[in-house]
Amino acid sequence: MSAGILSVHARPGRSATVILSWFLFAAGITLYIFTATARHRENPEERVMPTLVQMTQGMYNAAMQPAEDDAPSSEDVTQAPSVARRFLNSMLWKDTVATGRRFLYSMALLLPAVILGLHMGLFPYVGAFFLRFVLFFDKIVALSLLPILFIAFGIDELSKIMLIVIGVTPTILLDTFNLTRGVPPEQVVKAFTLGANDFDVAYRVVLKQIWPRVLNSIRLNLKSVMLFLFAGEMIASTDGLAYRIALLRRHMGMDVIIPYVLWVALLLFLVDLSMRWINHSLHPWFKES
Amino acid sequence: MPLIDIDAVSVAYGQPSRPVLTDVSLQIHEGEFVCVLGQTGCGKSTLLRLVLGAERPLAGRIAIDAQEHDRPDRTRGYVPQKYSLFPDRTVLDNISFGCELVEFNLATRFSPRFYRRRREIRAVALDCLRRTGLSESDAGKYPDQLSGGMQQRVAIAQALMTRPRILLMDEAFSALDPATRADMQGWIRELWRETGTTILFVTHNTHEALSLGTRVIVLAKDAPGHGSRVRLDLPVPSPCRDEDSSRLVRCLEGASRNQRPDSIASEVSPVETIVN
Repeated sequence: MSAGILSVHARPGRSATVILSWFLFAAGITLYIFTATARHRENPEERVMPTLVQMTQGMYNAAMQPAEDDAPSSEDVTQAPSVARRFLNSMLWKDTVATGRRFLYSMALLLPAVILGLHMGLFPYVGAFFLRFVLFFDKIVALSLLPILFIAFGIDELSKIMLIVIGVTPTILLDTFNLTRGVPPEQVVKAFTLGANDFDVAYRVVLKQIWPRVLNSIRLNLKSVMLFLFAGEMIASTDGLAYRIALLRRHMGMDVIIPYVLWVALLLFLVDLSMRWINHSLHPWFKES
Repeated sequence: MPLIDIDAVSVAYGQPSRPVLTDVSLQIHEGEFVCVLGQTGCGKSTLLRLVLGAERPLAGRIAIDAQEHDRPDRTRGYVPQKYSLFPDRTVLDNISFGCELVEFNLATRFSPRFYRRRREIRAVALDCLRRTGLSESDAGKYPDQLSGGMQQRVAIAQALMTRPRILLMDEAFSALDPATRADMQGWIRELWRETGTTILFVTHNTHEALSLGTRVIVLAKDAPGHGSRVRLDLPVPSPCRDEDSSRLVRCLEGASRNQRPDSIASEVSPVETIVN
């Protein structure tokens, strides 16, 4: 091949692509192990960079030992519980469930935002009523509202969910609004000439058509959802993944923090992947452009 | 009584207002195939959208069958140049969508009658599909998987499925290659003869207007900055001989360019009417 490997016209083969795409992962892990081992040789009490063995042990404790706050019942002591049972009683699982629940609540609260965005884009009076306010609301830095939320809603679940809703809702709303505006007017006119009413046009023509793009926009905003969720959990919470990370920071518990961070990344990656898969299989006509 | 009665209609856009149509009056009778011809920006699509009800005139009134309509509805079918098909529905669902919409709302869609009736509608739609020249294997495809010509065929079938009395076509064939276009022109003439639908067809192509319409209307501005008026209202002789046709093309093109009406009048035989 005459084209140089750095040129735009370079055509890397399949194996070259695979090797290159995994290279940074391998390099990062190798570098970490190398540095951690070196630091442990110098100082056996080293806590900043735990070795893989320590992290495995820490993760094993987090995933397999009963969470500290429940006293083991007599049943659990007499018979050895199964692995699944032990996992369901563990700190990791309880944290994941707590965070997951908040996450699902906030996702459910995004749905009204989608509906409002749709109506704003389609019905001129609704748009005139809400648009300016939402545009302003969108510019409020949600994290700066955190103290106000804690004062107004207390430090329990509601304020954390409100933080996510306030932080992410305007983005989703404006995205849906723009997507609705982007539907060619011919489509709306055509639907009316076929006998549709306003409701049909909004939900059976426009929403149905922009839905995969809306899902995509929600998927791309998952990171901000998690960001606001973690901020809330770290500051005021008694459970959840971010609470655990913040708590272990006080004990320099890097052997658990690092696996937790990776666990969160993995979960988010899986949610993202499954949303993409669902989107693709529900809407075979949809091509991402 | 005319089916479409456009009475002294004016339209202007923007601020400061820029006139698009000035004092346009037209009467279209049931069963006519009217082609609206004009150069880009002369307001021919605006005229179509007015009849459609997607736009309202600044002055004048538009009556369909003696009734004014302020929004698009079932009496007028619509086939635009593109974006006519719903991308999220298969070809068959696109064709049957109109009938399903009219007969069932959200609540009745869950009744067993809906499923029985839908099967009947689908059978009719499939029949419709076959007449468009598509094969049955195309029924489950999405619009994106069809060629431009096929898409327009489905769009026309979709519009005709609800049996509108008027079909409005906005540059419907302009994005097609010449061979497909000629094909589609023959097909739409046939459909028009079969169904007796009144067709209002907007185009910028003089040959297309002449080969399709029973009547050609030319919109043109008197001077830059003015709104367009009906410059020429020409019944197309049927059958149209070749030498006639080339003369008519010359005359129509002269009219849509900025020639004064009296200079055209000398070229036009007495059969043809000149509207100032």
